[in-house]
Amino acid sequence: MATAAVKPRSRQQPISWARIILAVVVLYAILLFGPIAGLDIPRIARDIAANPSLLVQQLIVGITNGAIIAIVALGYTLVYGIIELINFANADVFMLGGFMALSIIGNMGVTANSSAGLKIAGLVLAFVGAGLLGAVLNWTIERFAYKPLRNAPRLAPLISAIGVSFMLQNIGLIWGGLRPFFPIMGLNAASPKSMPEVLPRIPLLPASSGIEFGTKDLIVVVTALVLWVALRLFIQYTTLGKAMRATAQNRDASKIVGIHVDRVIAVTFLIGGALAGAAGCLVGFYNNTIVFTMGFTFGLRSFTAAVLGGIGNVTGAALGGVLIGVVAAFSDQYLSSRWTNAWIFTILIIILIFRPLGLLGEAAGEKA
Amino acid sequence: MSNPIKAGLAIGIAGGIVIAFFGGLSGILVALIGGAAVGLILSSWEHFEKRDVAVRQSATAGAVAGILMVAGQFIYQFVIVPLSGKTAVSVDAVTFIVALLTFALAVALAVFIGYTSTLEQGRRRVALFGLLALFLVLYPFLDGGMSVLYKTNPSANPFVDQPFINQGLNLNWLGTMITILTFAVLALGLNIVVGYAGLLDLGYAAFFAIGAYTTGLIYSPYISSQVGADWPWLRFVWTFWLVIWIAAAVAAVFGLILGSPTIPLRGDYLAIVTLGFGEIVPIVFRNLTAITLTLPFTNICIVGCGGKPLNFTGGESGVNPIGRPWLPGVAYFQTGDYLPWYFLILAIIALTVFLINRLYQSRLGRAWTALREDELAAAAMGINTTNTKLMAFAMGATFSGFAGAFYGSYIGAIFPSVFDFTVSVIILVMVIFGGLGNMVGVIIGGMIIMMADRLLLPQIAGTLKAIVNTTIVPNIQNPATKEFVSTTVDPLQWRQLLFGLTLVVMMLVRPEGLIPSARRRAELRSEAPAGTEPLSIQEADAGSPLMSVDSDPLDAPSQ
Repeated sequence: MATAAVKPRSRQQPISWARIILAVVVLYAILLFGPIAGLDIPRIARDIAANPSLLVQQLIVGITNGAIIAIVALGYTLVYGIIELINFANADVFMLGGFMALSIIGNMGVTANSSAGLKIAGLVLAFVGAGLLGAVLNWTIERFAYKPLRNAPRLAPLISAIGVSFMLQNIGLIWGGLRPFFPIMGLNAASPKSMPEVLPRIPLLPASSGIEFGTKDLIVVVTALVLWVALRLFIQYTTLGKAMRATAQNRDASKIVGIHVDRVIAVTFLIGGALAGAAGCLVGFYNNTIVFTMGFTFGLRSFTAAVLGGIGNVTGAALGGVLIGVVAAFSDQYLSSRWTNAWIFTILIIILIFRPLGLLGEAAGEKA
Repeated sequence: MSNPIKAGLAIGIAGGIVIAFFGGLSGILVALIGGAAVGLILSSWEHFEKRDVAVRQSATAGAVAGILMVAGQFIYQFVIVPLSGKTAVSVDAVTFIVALLTFALAVALAVFIGYTSTLEQGRRRVALFGLLALFLVLYPFLDGGMSVLYKTNPSANPFVDQPFINQGLNLNWLGTMITILTFAVLALGLNIVVGYAGLLDLGYAAFFAIGAYTTGLIYSPYISSQVGADWPWLRFVWTFWLVIWIAAAVAAVFGLILGSPTIPLRGDYLAIVTLGFGEIVPIVFRNLTAITLTLPFTNICIVGCGGKPLNFTGGESGVNPIGRPWLPGVAYFQTGDYLPWYFLILAIIALTVFLINRLYQSRLGRAWTALREDELAAAAMGINTTNTKLMAFAMGATFSGFAGAFYGSYIGAIFPSVFDFTVSVIILVMVIFGGLGNMVGVIIGGMIIMMADRLLLPQIAGTLKAIVNTTIVPNIQNPATKEFVSTTVDPLQWRQLLFGLTLVVMMLVRPEGLIPSARRRAELRSEAPAGTEPLSIQEADAGSPLMSVDSDPLDAPSQ
């Protein structure tokens, strides 16, 4: 579809005045109406000129959040690459990963003032627990909600996925109300939960630079990077990874050469879920707050990231994640945090319309 | 187990549970609806030919359902009431009359529907539609008796002395019924986009919001008070009967605008983009609270000048108040007097059904069907796919504009939180549960979903809470478990999960919905012949032999 629409324009074609006028009108409209949604370019330019180090600061925040977004985006991109399903539930698995981490930390009694050993044990346990929960959950979802619909029309598994996402969000709400078993959840089930400050906050840059960059940011970025590299290596070199790539390319041919396609799909969901759960844990420790609706917001961002990078492409998901993270951070700082979600969606819509392949996407875009 | 017993058991258990939670005189209403449902289910299973067989079997099924419903009533009186600590109701003559009536109505309705199933198709349709229309028109009097006529002037009520005539079943569901029917209009509109044209729209609430906000902004003193100037064109005495059309037109225009970028997209990408619009529109309405417009490169200010930004939509608190319909001499639309509102929404539903029916049978409707079944083939047949898709979005949006205008006027205020993603999904659940592409299915399915959500769930929640607090909690020793039970046993908290579960279960068990259209059933039940597994996903949904077996004359190419 999309590839066919891109026609090579011959050089002799005269400059289209209609196009130029349209561009000018659109630009003028952006300048006129942009300020309503925070896009006041002169003001933004003034803000940046007044305090350039804030720009770098937001870049760091954006990259760190983007690293987490990228990890969730990997789950979307892996699943879409193999069975062409937008796994709506992925983002809610991520949210439940955050709740798992919080429950583990809370019941171990880890607080901001605990000893380093207890903190490390809590971190590792929470990370592993969240990843395990995500993996098991995603595998179960695939087994019971998607697998029976493997040969149904395409809308059926998609609607099923929306249903599962709704169910998981409700489970998050209920989990948030389980104060009798997890005292850390607090009184109100629906309110955001605060996570104890467990990651060390040692500044790595001198205070005179005016930029905050500490071990906390570093740990998150490095963890995300390690997960990403591990996934790349897994897909590139292991037998199962090769089977995954083969299945993504052509499921029937893979069956013919003896690949257990159902098992490969199950493993894909397992990995995607583990990544989502781990990312939920990371987000909790990085932002120190989780809420049962964060799956929707983060899901939107990471799906946009996956599409931006080119859905089905592991490198693209990482690139898209970081880009979206930076855009969100800049929007929060310079535009208006109330409009950030609208801007992210606008980006998603613009990509889907003008370049459904994404930045690094290949043939997968044809299926859009 | 024979089919009549099966149908009777299924509906009887569902109806019995409903009665067991509501108690009172609700059994009569449940018996009416349940009896009809038994008849419908049985005749769709059995395809009756002989009249006496039809009547006999429907009577059996109705009797089974009726007995279970009566049992539900006694469960309410002897189990639920004492457990939940309500004051016990003594068993008297009224109890037995109600039980008898419940049983008789269940049987009568089942027999009537069974009987109509042996009639020819056209007559059966008239009979069924007539029955549904009669029920809907008489519903307010069944629910609230004659007193609904005298809500504004109770002293003129001549029936005060006769409790049953005056009170009816005394359910007080009329106000909720109006909301339910509003959502039925929305479901009918979404059905055009999803059911007819096959475009999965996850942001339908956006158009509902646009219709409602249009009404709010032109049919309320709000915007004049914000601007601080009397704009004559806004002060002009709008009437609701004009505003509702304007709201529909504005929604349709936005349907075109928001639909146009999605034209090249298909399937899940389309779903995501519409989800995006469904999310952006409420954000926009929520955030248009401080507008200042200055011409670029100048200091010329157009809107919100002098340090007083324009609060266009009222943010979280919304637009308030919104005017009411005005029909002097016939009806006075006042708060608490539900009857005029009820008949207004009934009229809107009737109009919607009529218009959509005409649309579906028009050339455009046939083009939608062709588009849904195979876009490439449709384009090859000369159908302009772009226009056809755009018209689906615009037409779908039109009806949500009606619903939005009515809802805004009925509630008297508009808030952005009414239109979030959950609402879009609820409307989608209504359409899918009832049966994609089938209007009767969508109305009935939508009403069932909404009644379960708005009436049954709160009732069950209240009763369960009462039972838990009076009978169970005092007996629990462990304080943690005690707190857990008393806070978590609340079906209202599980609402979203129930919606999600409905979607998943429907997709797994009955993807074509409760009352499917013949065509949809063929499509969604498209299982390839045994042994030949479809080659890939694309092939599986592209074409199955079953799809062309449909004998519907509308399938003929439209060109």
